Amino acid sequence: MEKLSMLFDDVALLWEKYASSYLTGMGRTLLLAVIATLAGCVIGFACGVVQTIPCSKNDFFLKRVLLGLVRGILRAYIEIFRGTPMILQAVFIYFGLPYFTNNAMQFRNLWAVSILVVSINTGAYMAESVRGGILSIDRGQTEGAKAIGMTHVQTMTSVILPQALRNILPQIGNNFIINVKDTSVMFIIGFTDFFSVHKAVVGATYRYFPSAAIEMAGYLTMTLVASLLLRWLEKRLEGSGNYELVQTDPLITTAGTYNYPGKGSPFDESSREHRETMEKEEEA
Amino acid sequence: MNQPILQVQHLSKSFGRREILRDIDFSVFPGDVISIIGASGSGKSTLLRCINLLETPTGGKITFHGQDQTLRGTSAAAYRAKVGMVFQSFNLFNNMTVLENCMVGQVKVLKRKRDVAREKALHFLEQVGMAPYVNARPQQISGGQKQRVAIARALAMEPEILLFDEPTSALDPEMVGEVLSVMRKLAREGMTMLVVTHEMAFARDVSNRVVFMNQGVIGEEAPPQELFTNPKHPETRDFLSRFMAG
Repeated sequence: MEKLSMLFDDVALLWEKYASSYLTGMGRTLLLAVIATLAGCVIGFACGVVQTIPCSKNDFFLKRVLLGLVRGILRAYIEIFRGTPMILQAVFIYFGLPYFTNNAMQFRNLWAVSILVVSINTGAYMAESVRGGILSIDRGQTEGAKAIGMTHVQTMTSVILPQALRNILPQIGNNFIINVKDTSVMFIIGFTDFFSVHKAVVGATYRYFPSAAIEMAGYLTMTLVASLLLRWLEKRLEGSGNYELVQTDPLITTAGTYNYPGKGSPFDESSREHRETMEKEEEA
Repeated sequence: MNQPILQVQHLSKSFGRREILRDIDFSVFPGDVISIIGASGSGKSTLLRCINLLETPTGGKITFHGQDQTLRGTSAAAYRAKVGMVFQSFNLFNNMTVLENCMVGQVKVLKRKRDVAREKALHFLEQVGMAPYVNARPQQISGGQKQRVAIARALAMEPEILLFDEPTSALDPEMVGEVLSVMRKLAREGMTMLVVTHEMAFARDVSNRVVFMNQGVIGEEAPPQELFTNPKHPETRDFLSRFMAG
């Protein structure tokens, strides 16, 4: 009990002094996570579309070779960025560019590097999620779109991806929440996010635990809010279960009329007259 | 003077070692309503899917207005835009309303303006009696209604031929009539149609030619009066007697 009230005092003290730093840190973390997740989604969707391009024996040789090559590159990209720690990828890219260009080129903007690294890392994960999402959509949807003359890209953007998006929304949420937390490794190249505020604060005050408590609460708040928002979005995408009838369906009652040659089908010219006379009779 | 719209020449299709279609030959002329009948597994649906290039033929030619569509580098998409298809399982786009289903192809493929496309879509939905349901989603309507929307979707592209792949086979019996009556009306209006069906009454009354498929080849091709009353081949007779009995 005593310890607990001590903790509250310490937290209050730190918050009073560093609240704006913590809040700016949270803002930067969130911003990075949002941008990188969105960019990662775009990369993932692009990869998913390319990976599902159909390839038939009827296509030109060059197209098949090119397609094979692009698929190979994408495969390598996914495996490399899924299979190595993001903290290392950050170092690798941040220091790699000056290394290879003899310092002629380097990243001057930490935001740019951070967004780049987190985006392509997220993209690698998203590519597989999107591929799974595309595979989860019934083949009939693709065939329906092809049958009215849509190209692969049109089929994907108009029909398949909107449906796949709904299926993989939980995955996107997962990635976003992971990104909120994992962007903390960007401190390695000097990006100042929420976690780096902690390092700065304890450097100045040596109050490790109280600051960590604030950080825990802060990250949890961000992820919980994100969770709630995503649930809401999922609900919204499902759409309403209702629709409005403009009028009644004139054909529905005629099911089976085909077997009654005497009455004819509702499309017979005579039938319309028949209906009209019936209506008149009813009115009379 | 009467040139065929579509010609199928020596068409063959194998899945791996299994030969599904062998040396199929026939032509479709403007205004033709051709019913393709035959036992399950005789290759009817595969034939239709080959014609629309949803399956790549293993051999032979499919010529549309004299142009071979199986050649390398021909655009299957451009060809399919002129050849409509109605599926057994409807395949309406689940992420769109009834109206959007009938508009999307016009807007994306034919590059029509949205209001023009909407007008056309409404016109064809009206024709199939689905105008009241423009705002419904495919999950909310019955099988027969879905199939009528699917027909309107195909019609909205104003195709030169309409292919039907067992359009009533997935329907409850009481919904078969509404779909068949729409198809009858199309036939009467002069639409060129190729219908794979188990509805013998439709084949007999509506089509001007009937193709009987038997184990991957065309067993018999004749006008319906002839094929139904006086089948030449024993297989045709066999199939028809089994069908009429059941």
